[in-house]
Amino acid sequence: MPQSDTFSEHPPLVRLRKVHLSFGSNHVLKCIDLNVRQGGAVSIIGPSGSGKSTILRCINGLLTPDRGEVVVGDTPVHSLRTEAERIALRKRIGFVFQQYNLFPHLTVLQNVVLAPTRILGVERETAEREARELLAKVRLADKDDAYPGQLSGGQQQRVAIARALAMHPQLVLFDEVTSALDPETVGEVLSVIRQLVQDGMTCLLVTHEMRFAEEVSHEIVFTEGGEIVEHGTPRDIFHAPRNPRTHAFINALRN
Amino acid sequence: MPESWLPAFVAAAKSVGLNYGFLLNAFERAAWLNGVAVSVELSLLSIASSLAVGMAVAAALTSGRPWLARPARAFVELMRNTPTLVQIFCAFFVLNMLVSQVVGGPRNNPLTAYAWVVIVLSLHYGAYHAEALRAGIEAVPKAMRESAVSLGFSRRERLLHIELPLAVRFAWPSLTNNMVDLVKATSLGSAVAVGEVTYASLMIWVNGDNVLELMIFVFLVYAVLTLFVAWMGAWVENRLRMPGYGQ
Repeated sequence: MPQSDTFSEHPPLVRLRKVHLSFGSNHVLKCIDLNVRQGGAVSIIGPSGSGKSTILRCINGLLTPDRGEVVVGDTPVHSLRTEAERIALRKRIGFVFQQYNLFPHLTVLQNVVLAPTRILGVERETAEREARELLAKVRLADKDDAYPGQLSGGQQQRVAIARALAMHPQLVLFDEVTSALDPETVGEVLSVIRQLVQDGMTCLLVTHEMRFAEEVSHEIVFTEGGEIVEHGTPRDIFHAPRNPRTHAFINALRN
Repeated sequence: MPESWLPAFVAAAKSVGLNYGFLLNAFERAAWLNGVAVSVELSLLSIASSLAVGMAVAAALTSGRPWLARPARAFVELMRNTPTLVQIFCAFFVLNMLVSQVVGGPRNNPLTAYAWVVIVLSLHYGAYHAEALRAGIEAVPKAMRESAVSLGFSRRERLLHIELPLAVRFAWPSLTNNMVDLVKATSLGSAVAVGEVTYASLMIWVNGDNVLELMIFVFLVYAVLTLFVAWMGAWVENRLRMPGYGQ
């Protein structure tokens, strides 16, 4: 199991302080505090509707909190005002979605090279070479000419991961990336993420895969009702939770 | 010189009571064939520029910026709520005169009746294209947009690389419909003496007793043109098909 204290020496790459967000009368995030250290892997677990995905969307500026601070590296995300500033931030942050969201009119290779060539200005040849390396890394080297609609869910999700990595992000956010997959394809996606964590990529995952979260994460955050109820090492959260709500959630999954 | 089969065709037509004698008159034949060429050119030019207008207006309609979306909406309503023929008259008799005044006389006015017909048809059908494309852009799943935003695409790049390519695919059957309709509307050019095939035929039948014969030809010309556009539309639709999408 990874040791969380070896990472505490690194400065936090992502810092959330007292983040609040409401949609109308629905108070989705209530005073969220969260740190993700450089090279760390943090998993957010908790019941549906507890604000997990909303936290990820606040980090890459898809949503702006009503109050509180969100800082990524040196960037105060909560106070970004212009589209250009948000774009500069998003270039540094990979985002992988539950529904993959590949571009259906482009081949796998085109999906991976589109953002690097159009947004970063990488030369086509370089981008394609890198894309092929990434596709090999997610074990889809032979699928570069296929269209997303021709791939299984697990394959599409691995392309989505390659597409995110092609931007050389400092951080990758995973939003329930295996929730839409068949049980037999979940493993292939998880093993790609496991490899990423081992390579030292900073990862923040929202997941329902408890065993996987326990295995790869340096830290687990349990959220419920828009609050962080408890956070700690996987060992603490899964085997010795202090909060009764965490305890109830973990136990309900066990049985 | 007319090909040898031409007199034979005219003679054969005569035996069933159809008078295609104008085909043997080199001047009338050339005028009529020129009319066909003008119709084809008018159709192609207007189709291309109407698509450009449609994309620009659709982009404005879906921009989310009131100062762009509102004028675009007003433009669409104006264009589709007034008759095409009246628009052509208005353009050629009113706007053309205003342009002449501004540039100092009709002599300096570079805009011909032909140009006005292209402009009106492009704007008129551009409005219809814009509505079809707007529907296509709005049919792009929100999640797809979110993933493009997360990759760092600006609004313009998103529109160009994701939303429009998908919108064109969703809207293509409607766009094909509009283009077929546009081809038929080029006949309205005859109202301002643009020498397309309807006008060229009219000029011939006023001099001879051959209205029915020319009508048949005119129908055939439009049928071939519209079938060609519909066939091209189907070909493009097939090319744009996204393998496996929606299955």
